[in-house]
Formats: sequence, structure tokens, C-alpha cells
Amino acid sequence: MSDNIKNGEVLIRVENLSKSFGDNLVLDDISMEIKKGDVISVIGPSGCGKSTFIRSLNLLEEPTGGSIFFEGTDITERGVDIRQIREKIGMVFQQFNLFDNMTVKKNIMLAPVKLKLMTKEQAQTRAMELLETVGLADKADNYPSQLSGGQKQRVAIARSLAMEPDVMLFDEPTSALDPEMVGEVLNIMKDLATKGMTMVVVTHEMGFAREVSTRTIFIDGGKIQEDDVPEKVFTDPKNERLRDFLKSVL
Amino acid sequence: MKKWKKFSLFFILTAALTGLFTTTVSAVSPFILLGGKEGDLQPEILQRLYDNFVKDDRWKYLVEGLGRTLLITVVAMIIGTLIGFLLAIIRVAHDKNGSVPVLNVIARLYITIIRGTPVMIQLLIIYFVIFASVDIDKMLVAIIAFGLNSAAYVSETVRSGIMSIDNGQFEAAKSLGLGFPAAMIHIILPQAFKNILPALGNELIALLKETSISGYIGLMDLTRGGDYIRSVTYEAFLPLIAVALIYLVIVILLSAGVSKLEKRLKKNER
Ligand SMILES: Nc1ncnc2c1ncn2[C@@H]1O[C@H](COP(=O)(O)OP(=O)(O)OP(=O)(O)O)[C@@H](O)[C@H]1O
Ligand SMILES: [Mg+2]
Repeated sequence: MSDNIKNGEVLIRVENLSKSFGDNLVLDDISMEIKKGDVISVIGPSGCGKSTFIRSLNLLEEPTGGSIFFEGTDITERGVDIRQIREKIGMVFQQFNLFDNMTVKKNIMLAPVKLKLMTKEQAQTRAMELLETVGLADKADNYPSQLSGGQKQRVAIARSLAMEPDVMLFDEPTSALDPEMVGEVLNIMKDLATKGMTMVVVTHEMGFAREVSTRTIFIDGGKIQEDDVPEKVFTDPKNERLRDFLKSVL
Repeated sequence: MKKWKKFSLFFILTAALTGLFTTTVSAVSPFILLGGKEGDLQPEILQRLYDNFVKDDRWKYLVEGLGRTLLITVVAMIIGTLIGFLLAIIRVAHDKNGSVPVLNVIARLYITIIRGTPVMIQLLIIYFVIFASVDIDKMLVAIIAFGLNSAAYVSETVRSGIMSIDNGQFEAAKSLGLGFPAAMIHIILPQAFKNILPALGNELIALLKETSISGYIGLMDLTRGGDYIRSVTYEAFLPLIAVALIYLVIVILLSAGVSKLEKRLKKNER
């Protein structure tokens, strides 16, 4: 699917995206593009709509206005099979959301096997490879309840990767972790970025945003207030609100 | 490990002994009150046991009645579970995705009606109204009535079980491209089932006891069997206590079975 999209070409285009919950307008006419190879960090004050924004990209939140194009297809149109689109968009949640009723290995194998992308044997091999990459091969047969937060999140990343997505969405992947476990998860994300994975990361880890991402987006008041390379955003913030925000977190 | 086994065995024995004790005492007490001699005691109770359970093979009313009671309970529970899960899934599919609106209304209506009327009336309506002009096996009527009734209660239990599963499980499944049915079957229902197993066990026990109204459509279940013995021997105490004891023992066995299953499911997780 994505083979015809080259690095630097548009993977996701957001056009005039709006989302309100009742009277609460959370996203106000947002337009932006995500290009293949981008590693975008999304920052902003709590409640500004970062989660709503990233969850709109795979339609976990139904936009109330505008369009989202994924590899050229407007996924907000009726009749689009959103499940097929989601196979190509990995997502990692703040609360991990591993399937509690199955082992680590089964967590990773489930979707590729049920969606008939791999045979059971292929999925098994792939799961073990991925667990190797995230350093958890020895936990393959454990249940999620037996893992630490950092381990759970690494498994969650492996589970998403098993679908071989074209882009990975992370919604505060380290916010639920004890401080000493943040590093192990960020390192894996760094590796992914180095390998060229397209990523959108909502994060409070300003260090990660600064060092790893290729673009930083600052959301406030329902709008993207700043969208630039991290050096610019962090060292020369033009926007008043961004300056205030950075003062409060740095 | 085997603790529950010992415990339930102990419990059954205690229950049986208590039952036997009360039966004997009360069989004997009027006799004592009347000032009978000790020597008359034994033949009296033996005679009564003989009259109620042995003479004319009267024990068969209890054994055959028990067979019918168990058959109705088991098949009704299977039907109730199948339909109950279906109803619950319809309602959850509607609550989560807004899909199947018409089916959802039907499901809600069904649950409201069944839970809003006595099971006895439902049984009578099914027998005397719906199947009035058809010559249908009473067992089948009872199975249908209790199955349909149970479905409404099971569905609410299952629904609350599904709702108790964190929505993040659903969202993770969705984000991987899995559809609602796959998420349900592989992720949500297995977890929900484990949580609601005690409640389902209670439903089974309640159902077993509810079937005791089957006599109202002339079905010779366990209760009716005991009551029939009473009507021919003119003795209420022994046959009714015997019936009560049989229910009690089965309920205790069922509870033990459910808690065993619960433990096994819990162990699978670790
Ligand atoms: N399902 C929902 N129903 C109603 N309001 C919602 C819902 N989800 C989010 N909101 C509201 O939308 C706004 C943005 O929420 P969102 O979770 O996107 O913020 P956020 O930037 O991710 O915050 P945080 O940094 O705390 O995670 C908030 O005011 C929130 O109350
Ligand atoms: Mg958030």
C-alpha cells in the first residue's frame, strides 16, 4: 500500500478538522500534513485536545467537520472500510491496553492471524522477532498482569508493529510509567524513529520532542499554534502561549 | 486445592444429617407428646417412611420428578445463555457503535416484558395461550418458558460484565483493525465471562428452584412428585422435607461446581 509513497511524500493530510463534544469545541478547523518519515511530537497544555487530535487520525474519535486523507483516501467518507485503514495505522496508548486474557505472544499474534495477514506460524516467528527487538523474548508466555508498566508498553509497541503499519500514533506512551521505566520505552521509540518509521507522538517528554522528533506541533485553544522544527519551537518560540507553556514545563 | 471438596462434602453431610435429624425428631415428637412408649418408636417412623417412599414404588415420583426438574433446568439454562449472550451483544453493539437500532429496541422490549412479569404467568401464557390449540409436550413448554425467562436475566448479567471491561481493550482491538465481532469473541467476552461466572451460577440456582412451579401446567417435576405423594399418603412432612433436601443437595453441588470452574479460570490467567 505504502510502497508507492516515498519518503517526504504526504501520508496523512488533515483538512479543516473540527471536533466538538456537545458545546465544547475541542479542535477548531485544523489543517496539516504528515509526510512519510516524519517524527512529529505534539505538545500543549492538558485538555487542549492532543488526544482528541491523535485519536481522530484513526477515527477512534469521529470528527464533526473536515476530512482526513490517509494515503490519498478520505477516511471520513461513508463507505470507507476504516478497519482496513486502521491496519496501517498503529496506535500505542497511555494505559497500554494489552489484552489481559492472553499471553504476551498471543497479544502480538492475534490481529495478524485473525485478519489473515499471516499464518499462525508466521505470526509466531514475527512475534518472537519483535519481542527480541523490544528486549522481552523471555516474557513471551507471560500474562500482562505479570509485567511492569515499562514492559507492558514495550509489548504494546511490538503488538502494533506486528501489523507492519505505515505510521505509528503514540498518545502519551510514558505518562503512566514510573520514572525509571520511561527511558526503556523512549529508547525503543528512538530506535523506531531512526529506522524511518513515521510517528506522531503526543508527549510531555520535552527532551524526546527536542532530540528525536523532526517536527513539533503545539496545540492550544483548539488550533495548531506552532508547527516547526524542534530547534525553532523550543529555542525561538514566536507564539505567546507557547512561550508560557514552555516556561511552565521546562 | 482440594479444600473446597472437603468443605462441600462436609456441608452436604451436615445438611443431610440435619435434615434427617429434624425429620426424625418431628416424626417422633407428636408420638412422644401423646405419651407413646419407647418401644413403639421405631416401627412408627419406619412405617411412615415405608408408606411415603417405598409402598407402590412412590420413590419413583421423586426420582423421575428430579430427572425432569434437572432436564428442564439444564436445557433452559443452555437456551437462556445462548439467547442471553445474543441480547447482551445486541445491546452493547448499540451502546458502543450505535449499530442495530431496531434489534436493540426489540431486545430492550423483550427484557422489560420478561423481567416485568412473573415467570409463573409466562409459563401459563405459553402453555394455555400460545400453545393452547397445539398438542405439545409439557416438558418442551417448560423448557421454552424457563429458557426465555432466563435469557432476559442472563442478558443483563452479561451486559454488565461486558461494560465492566475497560473500554481501552475495545479501542486497542479497533486500532489494530479488528472488528466488533472479533473483539467481542477473542478479547471482551472471555474476560467478561470470568467476571460474571458467579452471577451466572446464581442464575442457574435460581432457575433450578423456579422450575418448581412447573406443576401448574400439570408437569410431574420434583416438587409435584413430592406433593403427589402427600396427596395419597395424607402426610405432608416427610415427602416435602425429602423434596426440600434434594433441592438443597443439588444447589450445594452446583455452587461447588461453579466455584471450582471459577478457580480454574483464575488459574489460567496467571
Ligand atoms: N469522550 C469525551 N466526551 C466529552 N468530552 C471529551 C471527551 N474526550 C475529551 N473531551 C474533552 O475534550 C477536551 C480535550 O481533551 P483531550 O483528552 O483531547 O485533551 P489532552 O490534550 O489529551 O489532555 P491531557 O494532556 O490531559 O491528556 C477536554 O476538555 C475534554 O474534557
Ligand atoms: Mg490526552
